[in-house]
Amino acid sequence: MTTRALNSSGVSRRDMMRIGAGGLGFGLFGGIGPVPRVLSQASRAATATTSGRILVVFEWFGGNDGLNTIVPYGDPAYYKHRPTIGLKEKDLLKIDARLGWHKSMRGMQQLYDEGKVAIVQGVGYDQPSFSHFTSASFWHTAAPNSGNEFGWIGRTAAALDPAGAHENLIVNISDSQTLAVKAEKHVPLVFIDPMRFERGVFAQEKSVLEVLAAQHTPAGDAHKYVLEVTRSAAQASAVVRAAWSQYKGKENPDLRLLDLDKVAALIEADFPTRLYYVPLRNSLFDTHVNQAAPHDRQLEYCSDAIAGFFQEMERIGRADDVVMYVYSEFGRRVPENTSLGTDHGTAQVNFVIGNAVKGGLYGTPPSLTNLVLGDNLETTVDFRRVYATLIDGWLGADAAKVLGQAFPTIGMFRA
Amino acid sequence: MATRVGWSPGPAAWKDDLTPIGAADWNYDRAAHLLCHAGFGGTPAEIEALAGAGLEGAVRSLVHYERIANPRMQPFVESGLWDATLDKFPESRPEATDRAAKGGRSMGVDVKPGGNRPVQPVSDRFFYWLRATMLETRRLGYWWANRMVQTAHPVEQKMALLWHGHFATHENKVRDYRKMMQQIDLFERGATGNIRALTIQVAQNPAMLYFLDAQYNVKGAPNENFAREVMELFTMGVGNYSEKDVRECARAFTGWYFDDLSFKADPDKHDGGEKTFLGRTGNFDGVDVLKIIFEQPVTAEYLAGKIYRFLVRDELSPDLRRKLGAVLRDHDYEVRPLLTAIFSSRDFYSQASYGGHIKSPVEHLVAMMKHLGAGAIPGVPDFNQATIAMGQHLLNPPSVAGWAGGKAWITPGLLIARGNVAREVLIPDMTGFRDWNFMAGSDDVLGRRLREGYDIGAATAVNDPSKMSTFDRVALERDEQFNTRISGYIGWQQAARKLIPTPRQAASFELTGMVLDSGARTTAEAVDYLLWRLLRVPAATATRDALVAFLTRELGTDSVERARTYMEDGLRMTAHLIMSTPEYQIV
Repeated sequence: MTTRALNSSGVSRRDMMRIGAGGLGFGLFGGIGPVPRVLSQASRAATATTSGRILVVFEWFGGNDGLNTIVPYGDPAYYKHRPTIGLKEKDLLKIDARLGWHKSMRGMQQLYDEGKVAIVQGVGYDQPSFSHFTSASFWHTAAPNSGNEFGWIGRTAAALDPAGAHENLIVNISDSQTLAVKAEKHVPLVFIDPMRFERGVFAQEKSVLEVLAAQHTPAGDAHKYVLEVTRSAAQASAVVRAAWSQYKGKENPDLRLLDLDKVAALIEADFPTRLYYVPLRNSLFDTHVNQAAPHDRQLEYCSDAIAGFFQEMERIGRADDVVMYVYSEFGRRVPENTSLGTDHGTAQVNFVIGNAVKGGLYGTPPSLTNLVLGDNLETTVDFRRVYATLIDGWLGADAAKVLGQAFPTIGMFRA
Repeated sequence: MATRVGWSPGPAAWKDDLTPIGAADWNYDRAAHLLCHAGFGGTPAEIEALAGAGLEGAVRSLVHYERIANPRMQPFVESGLWDATLDKFPESRPEATDRAAKGGRSMGVDVKPGGNRPVQPVSDRFFYWLRATMLETRRLGYWWANRMVQTAHPVEQKMALLWHGHFATHENKVRDYRKMMQQIDLFERGATGNIRALTIQVAQNPAMLYFLDAQYNVKGAPNENFAREVMELFTMGVGNYSEKDVRECARAFTGWYFDDLSFKADPDKHDGGEKTFLGRTGNFDGVDVLKIIFEQPVTAEYLAGKIYRFLVRDELSPDLRRKLGAVLRDHDYEVRPLLTAIFSSRDFYSQASYGGHIKSPVEHLVAMMKHLGAGAIPGVPDFNQATIAMGQHLLNPPSVAGWAGGKAWITPGLLIARGNVAREVLIPDMTGFRDWNFMAGSDDVLGRRLREGYDIGAATAVNDPSKMSTFDRVALERDEQFNTRISGYIGWQQAARKLIPTPRQAASFELTGMVLDSGARTTAEAVDYLLWRLLRVPAATATRDALVAFLTRELGTDSVERARTYMEDGLRMTAHLIMSTPEYQIV
């Protein structure tokens, strides 16, 4: 029988060393006193694969109504299409003589006024799908009207770290793994509640945990998968809980970060993660009916969460290293429907946010009079151009390799 | 000790072959495999009975259950939370209070003629029902899960669970447990009948009509929500129809709505004009277009594939999908012949189908009861909390697409949660347990402050009112029409007063007797027995050896006979560890 030295959290010394070598700067002593922040700025730079730059993707699933987010109040056609749900000029937070932020988005407007938000208009793809799930899968795989076994974030991880040696390169804050993070060599760290992310065992049982996923010939594909996850779960849970227990943002009752709080906690703990993927939970963006109240609320929650998140990055001292990308699987139909809502549409507005971003308006705003495909906006920017911009311009990886072809990038980052 | 039939998957070459296996291929292990996939597994005695019936007898008794008595099924006992004033419940709090502003009354509650917060009772009433239907839905889900454990018709329950995830609606949006209850009944009655008939009933089911905005789909202003999902998710799959088909389909469904719990069709709101749908032209209504959908060959393949993946394994070749579709189409969408073909086939008993299915969380918990021979799901841990932690909230699937299933059930976090739930079942924390039905979550702090004598302004303050000066505290109180935060708390209190409490008993089973009855004399034999009883895929030798060492250490002896008076908790920990293995997650 195997006997190995165990600490009180049931993790062997060998495992701890291995995680340490993977770039994680603290041990796994969950529950026994403070966790030291070991990695200094210098050592972080040395352990990360290329640099300390981080991308956080915040997916607004449900199909956000872009026209009621960045509102073209200066275009009379807007009010013609939306006589009842059109937002009035006096209620908007003005950007220029044509556009204004939805009134709930004071948090993002402030970041914009500080020059940190790129607003990209007209983003979509040719022959769009009007299905939430299909369109989301196109965005997740960066393969519109086609497919790919792996997600674009998963493939970006492969471009950053071809050997797959970098542990916890991808974190996915979700109940179940998002297709976007599915990777060939990297096991994304998927969780939603750090405090539930712990095996409950009695002291006597700990010795057996070690061999739960012992070397074993898998009975098939499903078995192989569960064996792999069992192995990575033990290590990941300890480090995530340690990070969460140390997170100082929890002490601020005014912060409402949605699930971005977990990202902030891991960044504060110097996690080696460079790709964070956060799908919005309980989305109210699918606004077919009486959309005003739920849309107002959802935009306020999201905008406040993003502003709060960057406030946290400033406190932690990592605001220069983090860029956030915000998108939805499609926008909505230009004319309102008869239920005071809007149906599934096409092109939409994206946001790229961070100190490194040159704030402003990007892309060509689609015409509100020359509609396509039954009352829809024409796509003026292929979404893979935005992906290429993030992969190449921000993360410094080979975008053409990730996306399968070269897309012109958009110059939205400061030198 | 009796010899046991061990793991015996059929040859790899049986994959994709729908030829029935022969009588000589039938044994205890194959019967266990059948019961796990067709239902939720069972005790050795139940498996023995199936094995004794032969393949044909076993499959027939599972699939043709109509005449088998089912004495443990009891109707759901409602708490009595609903009354007729809640009919046409407002879609939002603003709508609720607007109604009151216009008519002086909303949901059977009057606006106060004077004083501060005159609309508070209306706002409270709105939150009362939100909480009431949510809490009653928890009871409903628990009741349903117990049916899965107690039924003499496991296939009926397994298929009802499939249809719930397939024709997915969630109480979060429907906001009426009664409509969810109607749906469970519909899915049970239609579990193994005709899928076309079931789909028509689902399309006319109030929960579904509300969920996919049918009431907004009217002549001249079609709402495409239902029309799109019925083709994309319920019958054909994406890519087999055009956007124009979606619009024409939506027109055919115009005028369908519901009145409380009944389906209605309004001829004035129905677009009776000509439609061209999937190549056919006519003055179609909703039933007509559904019938056309079921004439498409792809529909049979899509549905047969969905049933197969739910019951057997995740991976399905295009060839097998075609064959299964043909079986379903040849029998005019009757489910029983398809199930009989699947459960008798070489493919079903092939190596690929052994351990090819990851159990859903609800399946996992129900199967645990079946394996342990417990007669009911326990009250501790709470059924809903346990399954939510593992990633499945019964009666609240995440979207109209239902649960993704397969590998999506397993992430590091969810896998850990499965082991933790097993521990809570085997060794429940009876003294630490708190009933979340009687905890108002983040609203609890409001209740505490109100009971400490703070007024509403102070009770709802962001900061702790006990740390404020009296002056600051008094300044917080304000004139307003109503306060929704207080309503959230009051609504919970009002609902909880009426709610029938859930009994909080531990799971009832005893491992000591099972192990002794098995003839085990040593801890090694005890561990081998538990592994055999609980797992469908053998554990690694190293895991087995570690379990034997653990149990021996825990009991202070390797003799089961010597430890018989005190070994229950040691055995339970052993079972907890077995249920935490990768192998326990799959069948």
